[in-house]
Amino acid sequence: MTVASPDIESPPSHGGLAERPSLASARVVIVIAAYNEAQSISDVVRELRTQYSHVVVVDDGSSDTTAALALDAGACVLKHLINRGQGAALQTGITYALDQGADLIVTFDADGQHDMADIARLLEPIVQGRAHIALGSRFLGRRENMPLTRRFVLFLGVLFTRVMAHARLTDTHNGLRAFSRYAAQHIDLQLDRMAHASELVDQVVGSGLPYVEVPVRIRYTEYSLRKGQRSSAALRVAFDYLMARLTR
Amino acid sequence: MNLFQGLTLLLFAGLAVLTVSAGVRGTVRKRVVLFWLSLWVLGSIAIAWPRSTAVVAHTLGIGRGADLVMYSSVLVMIVAFFYTYTRFKRVERQLTLLVRRLAIQNALTPSDRAAPGAGPSSPDPAARSEA
Repeated sequence: MTVASPDIESPPSHGGLAERPSLASARVVIVIAAYNEAQSISDVVRELRTQYSHVVVVDDGSSDTTAALALDAGACVLKHLINRGQGAALQTGITYALDQGADLIVTFDADGQHDMADIARLLEPIVQGRAHIALGSRFLGRRENMPLTRRFVLFLGVLFTRVMAHARLTDTHNGLRAFSRYAAQHIDLQLDRMAHASELVDQVVGSGLPYVEVPVRIRYTEYSLRKGQRSSAALRVAFDYLMARLTR
Repeated sequence: MNLFQGLTLLLFAGLAVLTVSAGVRGTVRKRVVLFWLSLWVLGSIAIAWPRSTAVVAHTLGIGRGADLVMYSSVLVMIVAFFYTYTRFKRVERQLTLLVRRLAIQNALTPSDRAAPGAGPSSPDPAARSEA
């Protein structure tokens, strides 16, 4: 059953969960998209490497030393020669992870706002066969120093996704996610910039694969907020997403 | 005929010549040549005989010829915007796929770090044979 290419028609339970690896033997690949994250990337990679041997950093055309620092910290580094956006970078990392035979793929943010301890919690439902996709939710979990405006914009994002994708999620724009190999094979992010988050939810819901939301902790630091998206970027995201739905 | 008409007709005539010669040389497809040529001809007619637009406008139920020209140019611009947008998106997509392919081909693993030739642009191809 490893040879037969799984198609969406077949029920998910036959698509790879049956032969799911245990967490101990599974090849877990952590994918990080990074753009000018020299300040934080070393610590993030080094911490992850204490527990996970495969960390892939996609350097999205940074002008600083992000790539070299990530390599020094023990990550595999893929370099986008030109900045293509977070969605594109994540897809590059996911494609590479699949090439490398990943059983489980986790996406993680480069700015240090995620907690490594949450990864195991995300992988748990997948390894147990309850889901193919685990999405981190900061609204189910703890959030530290979350500004009110950020909370409002994210609420709009959740509402938007609920209307457009008919998905009842509490947090649609969280970078911490885990995928089974089977699920990752069914994901193809084509929206290169930030609209990939909504696109991903569309694809997850559209694939019919079981997904769960898992509470995760987000640390809002001065750095992560500065590096993060401005609230006004939400308009661009909505535009990209809607145009893609119109023109596809 | 006033100065504006003279200059614009001259300009359109020049553009028409350029369009035809591009079509003859084969640098532009015949369909595209016809499109631009009809645009220059229609524009010339509208400029040489300004009343002619009013005739068309009236049959369409639009009050003035100038309004007809404005409405149709807005329409053309919207179509052109969508055409350019989708084209732009397609090029962006191709660019991303290219950048992705190059990134994966030139993947650096921690073992490349020590290698002397492991520059950012030219990783040793033998070093990634483990895949």
